[in-house]
Formats: sequence, C-alpha cells, structure tokens
Amino acid sequence: MASALTLLRRLYLSIYNWIVFIGWFQVLFLALKTLKESGHEHVYNAVEKPLLLAQSAAVLEILHGLIGLVRSPVSSTLPQIGSRLYLTWGILWSFPEIRTHVLVTSLVISWAITEIIRYSFFGMKEAFGFAPSWHLWLRYSTFLVLYPTGISSEVGLIYFALPYIKASEKYCIRMPNKWNFSFDYFYAAIIALGIYVPGSPHLYRYMLAQRKRALSKSKKE
Amino acid sequence: MKVSLVSRSGREFIKGGLELNDSATVADLQEAIHKRTKKFYPSRQRLTLPVPSGSRERPVVLNYKKSLKDYCDGNENSLTVVFKDLGPQVSYRTLFFFEYLGPLILYPVFYYFPVYKFFGYKGDVLPVHPVQTYALYYWCFHYFKRIMETFFVHRFSHATSPLSNVFRNCAYYWTFGAYIAYYVNHPLYTPVGDLQMKIGFGFGLVCQLANFYCHIILKNLRGPDGSGGYQIPRGFLFNIVTCANYTTEIYQWLGFNIATQTFAGYVFLVVAASIMTNWALAKHRRLKKLFDGKDGRPKYPRRWIILPPFL
Repeated sequence: MASALTLLRRLYLSIYNWIVFIGWFQVLFLALKTLKESGHEHVYNAVEKPLLLAQSAAVLEILHGLIGLVRSPVSSTLPQIGSRLYLTWGILWSFPEIRTHVLVTSLVISWAITEIIRYSFFGMKEAFGFAPSWHLWLRYSTFLVLYPTGISSEVGLIYFALPYIKASEKYCIRMPNKWNFSFDYFYAAIIALGIYVPGSPHLYRYMLAQRKRALSKSKKE
Repeated sequence: MKVSLVSRSGREFIKGGLELNDSATVADLQEAIHKRTKKFYPSRQRLTLPVPSGSRERPVVLNYKKSLKDYCDGNENSLTVVFKDLGPQVSYRTLFFFEYLGPLILYPVFYYFPVYKFFGYKGDVLPVHPVQTYALYYWCFHYFKRIMETFFVHRFSHATSPLSNVFRNCAYYWTFGAYIAYYVNHPLYTPVGDLQMKIGFGFGLVCQLANFYCHIILKNLRGPDGSGGYQIPRGFLFNIVTCANYTTEIYQWLGFNIATQTFAGYVFLVVAASIMTNWALAKHRRLKKLFDGKDGRPKYPRRWIILPPFL
C-alpha cells in the first residue's frame, strides 16, 4: 500500500515538473524568437499565455509543501512564489503600458532559464531517481548570475510601472467606509520595493549557503 | 578556587583562568570577568556549565546569586565555565520607555496637526467627531499608564534585553501607533453609534483598571530588588487565568476597537494578542513544570492560560 502511494506521488510529481518545464521552455523559445524577429517591445505578447500558465502553476508547490508531498519548507517557497505572482499578475498583466519595456525581456529570460533547469532537475529525480552532477551544478550555479539579473528586472519594472499604477487607481479601496479601511496599491508597490532592499541579499545569501551544502554533499558521495 | 573560562568552541577565553575566593558567588565571578575584559559588563555575560559533547541537554545557566561552590561537581578547587557574549544590553526600563514613548507622541501629531494635507487632502482636515477626541485621551492615557508602570510598578529581575530589541520593538510600536492614528483621525473617518462608542470605551477603561491591579499583584510577588524568582500568582483574576495581565490588556484593546472601529486597530489587536498568547503559553508551561507538586513544592493549579474559554 505504502509503495503504491510512493509510486503515485512520483508519477504525479514527474508529470507536474515536466509539464511546467515545457511551459517555461516555450517561454524561453518564444522570447528569444520574438526578440530576434520583432524586437523587445513584442516579447510580452508572444510569451503571455505560457508565462501566465507556468508561473501560476507554481501555486501548487505551496500545496505540495503544506501536505508534505515535497520537503521544501513553505516559509521559503511562499515569498519566492509571492514575488513572482506579484510581478506576473500584479504588474505585467494589470498594467499593459509596462509590457513594452526592455526589462520584460531580461525578466522572462532570467526566470525561464532558472525554471527550465529547476523543473527538469526535479523531473529527472522524480522520474528516474537521479540527476547527473552537471545538472546539479547548473541548478546551484546559474542563480549567481540570474538572481541579480532577475531581481534587477523585477525592481526596475515595478519602479517604471509606478506612474501607471498611480494614475489608474486600480486595486485601490478608498474611504469613507464602515470599517475605516483603505488600501492604496501605489503605496503598497513602494513598500514592495522596500522589501527588496533587505530581502534580496538575504535570499542570495541563503542560496549561497544552499549551494555550498549541495555541492559539497555531492563531492562526498 | 581556580575558574577556567572557555568559549563555546572550547577555546580558552581568559588565559590562565581566574582566581577567586572559595566562598565567591557567581556575581563575584562576573565582576572579575568584567575587570579583566572591560567590554563585557555582567549583564552581557552568559555563563553556563559545560555540556558533554553530543549531549542534547540544555546547559545549566549560572545564577548570579549562588556560590560557585554549588556548581563544583565534587572538585572544590576548580571549575570550568562556558562564556557567551550576549551583545550590548539595555535595561528593560530603557527598552519599555522608548517603545512606549513613540505611540504617546506620534498619535497626538495626527490629531492636532494638519498632516493629512501631506497625503493630498485639501480643506478641513482636523478631526470633528467626539469619538476621535475620546480616542486620543484613551490612547494617551494607556501609554502614559504603561510608562508610569515601567518606572514605579514593575519589578524587573536582573534581566536586560539585547540592544537590537530596541530597534525591533520600537519599529513595532511606533509603526502600529502611526498606522492606527492615521485612520482614527482621518478626515473621512466614519464613527460608530454613540452607544457602541460608550460601551467600547467603558469596557476598555474597566479592563485597564483591572490590568493595573494585575500588575500590582505581580509586583508583590517579588522583592524590591527583583528577587523571588517564579511564584504562583494568586488573587483576583489570577485564580482563574495564569496570565490575567495579558487577558486584561487584550480586552482593553478590544474595547478601544469597539469604540473606534478601524481595520488598522483590529489588525493590531490580532497581532498583539498572538504575541501575548505565545508568551502566555511559555509562562504557563514554565510554571507548571516548576510547580510539579514534588519535593514539597506546591502543584500548579488548573487554570486557563490566557483567554478563557478558548485557551
């Protein structure tokens, strides 16, 4: 009984990881193709569908962590997925004026390469039980470049979207109301930018520690 | 007797160790360490007995009042003590004073000064509803009471707090203070009905008085120098709930929120209540463990922890 469940779990996770891998592969392919053929202004339109699907699917990973299907702690996946969903839905999808910005290209390419490596790595481990050492190396080394490029793109896009956020009044709740509550999406975006200041070095340091652990462990084996 | 001082990594912390009287107390040891290492005043020192490597037990912390002899395990002439630096410390009085000062000063700024002009509101921006004035008095009375209790009621044991807590705690109190003050004094604030306001402030005031009495009871459990350690609190609400002081504090904020009805105020209530609940769980557990009914110690009575009938 127990081994049937383990098999089911492996089957499910394999399918999940490889499907999302294909999604991100599409994103990268279309991004590079469009960049070459039409220019950076058209990249978002070309990648929108697979991007929205692949990025939103990541919500399932929170569920996986909560029910114990995978080992990653919810406390580290939540902020990561949160920031991705914020950029994808809260900035790019909500404010079309920002979609033609060149940082969209650097953003989706950084994300796509990272995710392609990550999902294929997990897909390999779940389906075949192992992943080659070069794959492990890629997973724990590409972030050294892609985190700075990705994070700079995220921060840049939020910053350049600010005027559009302020003008549109989107997602804002105003007073007066019974609960004396208000929400200003513009100020929330400023706070989000503020979080990147301590958040980014913290995340980068965490990944460096993970890298050290993972690569030294594989050396010992 | 000779005391060798090591760091947690095993390295000798003071070369050659320290020579102390056989009848010396831990406090004397702390003074001696401070004399040799100007930087590490006693409240910064955490002294423990060494734990055998591999053991999962928590180390025994040296109590400043006890004699060193009490910790010598057979060998009366030498003792090895592990030293840890707790970092710069501030007294609880200092910490509490600064964290409470913020709300006391920031809230009236939102009431008296036309700050909302900076948020883009034109025209009449000063508060007009009576509830906003009563809220100001209630809020300021609360934090004034807290500061007075800090200096005249609470009896702190030797305890100090790391300096970094000053920044963390002030950020918490000052940010929430400004957040709530912004909404209650807002030009577009919507007040509740008169009866609800009276019930809210009335209930809140009763709870504040009860809370003050709880603090008096807790104070009397200790001597004026903070000695006495842990006691079973008795009397008044403590007969039914271990942390009656937290209970009354939470209900007091509930009263404020019933009267002022802001989302910000309720967020603060939930956060404060969860922080206090964590403290209450730890305190209740500690008291139950200490007062287990064995060896002549009284057994800790059955009580609610913090919020009857939930916890």
